[in-house]
Amino acid sequence: MTWGMTRRLGPILVLALGIALLLWLLVAAPLSAQAAPGYDPVKMRLYHSTLPRLATAVIAGFALSLAGALFQQVLRNPLASPTTLGISAGAHLALVVATLFFPAHLGLGRDAVALLGSALVAGLIMALGARRGFSPLSLVLSGLVVSLWCGALAAILAYLNDRSMVSLFIWGAGSLSMQSWQIPLALGWKVGLLALCCLPLLRPLSLMDLGDGAAASLGVRLTRIRLAALAVAVALSALVTSAVGVIGFIGLVAPVLARLLGARGSPVFLLTSGLIGAALLLVTDTAIQLAAGQFSDLLPTGAITAVFGSPLLLVLLPRLKIRHRVIGGAVAPPQRMPRFALVLAALPLMVVVAVLLGRDAGGAWVMGTEMAALRLPRVMTALAAGAMLAVAGVLLQRLTGNEMASPEVLGISAGATLGLAASLFVLASPGLPVQLGFAGAGACAVLAVILLATRRTALAPERVLLAGIALGALVDALSGLLAATGDPRALALLRWMSGSTYNAAPGSAMLLCAAAVALALPALAARRWLDLLPLGPALAGALGVPVGRARLGLFALAGALSAVATLGIGPLSFVGLMAPHLAREAGLRRALPQTVGAALIGAALMVGADWLGRVLLFPWQIPAGLVAALMGAPFLIFLLFRRGRT
Amino acid sequence: MAPAALLTPALAAGAPRVVSLDYGLASTLLGLAVTPVGISELSGWRDWVVEPAMPPKVAELGISTEPNLEILSALAPDLILVTPWLDAQIPRLTQFAPVLRLETFIWTGRPILDACIAATQTLAARIGREAEARHLLADMEALFADCRARLARHAGRAVVLAHFWDARHVRISADPSLFNDVLLRIGLRNAWTEPTGNWGFQTLPVEALSRVTDPGAMLLVFDPLPPGTFETLDRSPLWRALPLAQPERIRRMPPVLLLGMVNEAMRFARLVTEAVEADA
Repeated sequence: MTWGMTRRLGPILVLALGIALLLWLLVAAPLSAQAAPGYDPVKMRLYHSTLPRLATAVIAGFALSLAGALFQQVLRNPLASPTTLGISAGAHLALVVATLFFPAHLGLGRDAVALLGSALVAGLIMALGARRGFSPLSLVLSGLVVSLWCGALAAILAYLNDRSMVSLFIWGAGSLSMQSWQIPLALGWKVGLLALCCLPLLRPLSLMDLGDGAAASLGVRLTRIRLAALAVAVALSALVTSAVGVIGFIGLVAPVLARLLGARGSPVFLLTSGLIGAALLLVTDTAIQLAAGQFSDLLPTGAITAVFGSPLLLVLLPRLKIRHRVIGGAVAPPQRMPRFALVLAALPLMVVVAVLLGRDAGGAWVMGTEMAALRLPRVMTALAAGAMLAVAGVLLQRLTGNEMASPEVLGISAGATLGLAASLFVLASPGLPVQLGFAGAGACAVLAVILLATRRTALAPERVLLAGIALGALVDALSGLLAATGDPRALALLRWMSGSTYNAAPGSAMLLCAAAVALALPALAARRWLDLLPLGPALAGALGVPVGRARLGLFALAGALSAVATLGIGPLSFVGLMAPHLAREAGLRRALPQTVGAALIGAALMVGADWLGRVLLFPWQIPAGLVAALMGAPFLIFLLFRRGRT
Repeated sequence: MAPAALLTPALAAGAPRVVSLDYGLASTLLGLAVTPVGISELSGWRDWVVEPAMPPKVAELGISTEPNLEILSALAPDLILVTPWLDAQIPRLTQFAPVLRLETFIWTGRPILDACIAATQTLAARIGREAEARHLLADMEALFADCRARLARHAGRAVVLAHFWDARHVRISADPSLFNDVLLRIGLRNAWTEPTGNWGFQTLPVEALSRVTDPGAMLLVFDPLPPGTFETLDRSPLWRALPLAQPERIRRMPPVLLLGMVNEAMRFARLVTEAVEADA
């Protein structure tokens, strides 16, 4: 046996032995138990809970990994998967919305709803990807942003409907617990059918391995084959999500392992990926079942796979070749007359409305200064946070040349969230300053990691963003895990994540405003760097920009802006994404006017979101971050389709 | 402590304007013959607490962790009631009125029912309703004694307290919880003996119910039940064979507030007694 073969067969043997051992541990005792007369709980659990659960793990693992392999093959993107492209999250959000708002129609249409959600996200991601030549990192970046957005929105919708909250979380976290064969049987034939649909695709996909030109000359209809393969992959992901919820990252891990084991050529690659995915989810779930027996608590399988799978993204990053791209004509907006006056007027108007206009206990609209003292700290907090996020967004978009870049994406918010979670779970009942301290420490830790990591990889900006997003996915998985156990502390975490200005006090609001000014000034001072860096490192360097130092400094500044703003308004607002775009739409294209304009727009957006949140459902209050995020998604789609046309 | 010395004039005059940011404390106020001027999450009261009914003209303050401060300041209360769950908000709330922090449902080392009784007495002393508190607690003791007598035939009977999240997952209430303490007082016991952490409940997959081996145990399924739960469960062989789920052992129960106080303890005792008593 050659060494190469040993290297390939070794891991497979280890995996097989591991599965056998774990399965034996799980199943041997109930199988060998003496049959009890009459009702036999041990045998009942074995036949109607343990075994269907194992079957579901095999089917779901196979389906997700086959989908991941198809995505990776068709998009030529080693990071693509149902999780990283947001396909699972789209299905999840669609199902949450359907459960909450149209429960009566969910019965038979569950799969259809999931398919619709997945297809919408897939369309969105592909449309975005097409404009960047399907660059692997851009595609996954968009996918993960959409995925985080869908996940956060689903969580918040569930939180606003606390009656059904925990059930939505359990399902969102991908619990595989079973009480009958219904789910594996129903999922089994659908997945089988879709797997059969892959057969006619195998030959064209193999030919496409030779290169698009060669395949086309051999008569392969490239677009049609690509669309068909993507459709199968999307359907596989959606059906699994509909049946058992979101199982994170299996569809990424399995194809990567298949490739490491040397699976070459489409047919072998697809089959090996599917089998490895089935084995992986089987191992994971068997281990979880064994562990759950020890701790007697609910451990949702999907959240566990995500917790262990999301760091894999970080491992994969150095394997990708990245070139810095110049912002092309597609990104530059059509020339417009500057609408600076409008931008200037929006903020003062919004502040006046937000401070003076409110509602009384009976719900009637009241204009006056009586409540100004209560409202002003919230308005100022929203204003400062919105401005800081917007400036950070401008910096990141100019540094990376990626219009999806924003502080929400940098992972700093995720770090702050993890810090807050730690304070809630380590200390019995931490006060507000302690919570903020922990959140700040978490944000700083991530910032430090990002700076260290980027020092090593020569500051490739998209890697930084993807690393941040991977962290975000990890936080998402952890908070899903917590929420699914029904622990009330998870509620506190969600509340903070939804970005409420409720806790704003005059002192903290002043501090935040001061921080905003202090941090925005260096950004204005760096306007020349910001004008030149988007031209690419070579050109910028030739024009006298110290590229390495400039990038490092500006990243640090963006990180600091995001960290402080996140403390004020939570991790999920997407104002940092929207404001820079709106500023450019208003005709502010050079760095200085764009930064100032974006800061004003971001502040006005956040103040407006906070005000809407306070008055819409009065006396209930919708967190400002959530309102802003709700505006963010339609904005994203609008931007996408308008750009697509021109 | 001399509570009278702490009272503002309005409180001493017998017209206390109290705001409660906890269902259990609001319900206890009603038990002490005081109508709160405002409570948090008023809109969910009829679904989650049911009784005692909240009188009209009580102001809605929104979610308990973020009560609407504009309404709070307009109400000008004399006293704001909170549990340790809202510790982070206490400095803020103190700017509007004195805050009384009462430990009820959070495990602090003593039985939850005892904590609730102590909290009721502290609250009554603060608002000058000691006589009403004695009545309320005496009513509770009398009800427990009555339930215990009615259940004499079933003494020591085990029950499982279940809230279904969906057709695959269930929340089980166990020790330490108000419900668990009440079960012991009325001569029943909790069939779920596994440790559940400090909140007194645990989320489990439905098949875990087969770990209950007590042959006489009853399964009490509390509302609200997600739509379609039993329809889905009835298609599961595991559920159909589960001794606990047999028609003679399973009972559907109206909602009872899990994190409540004395009134909720009484409602729970009454409903459970009726359910078990009716069993042959």
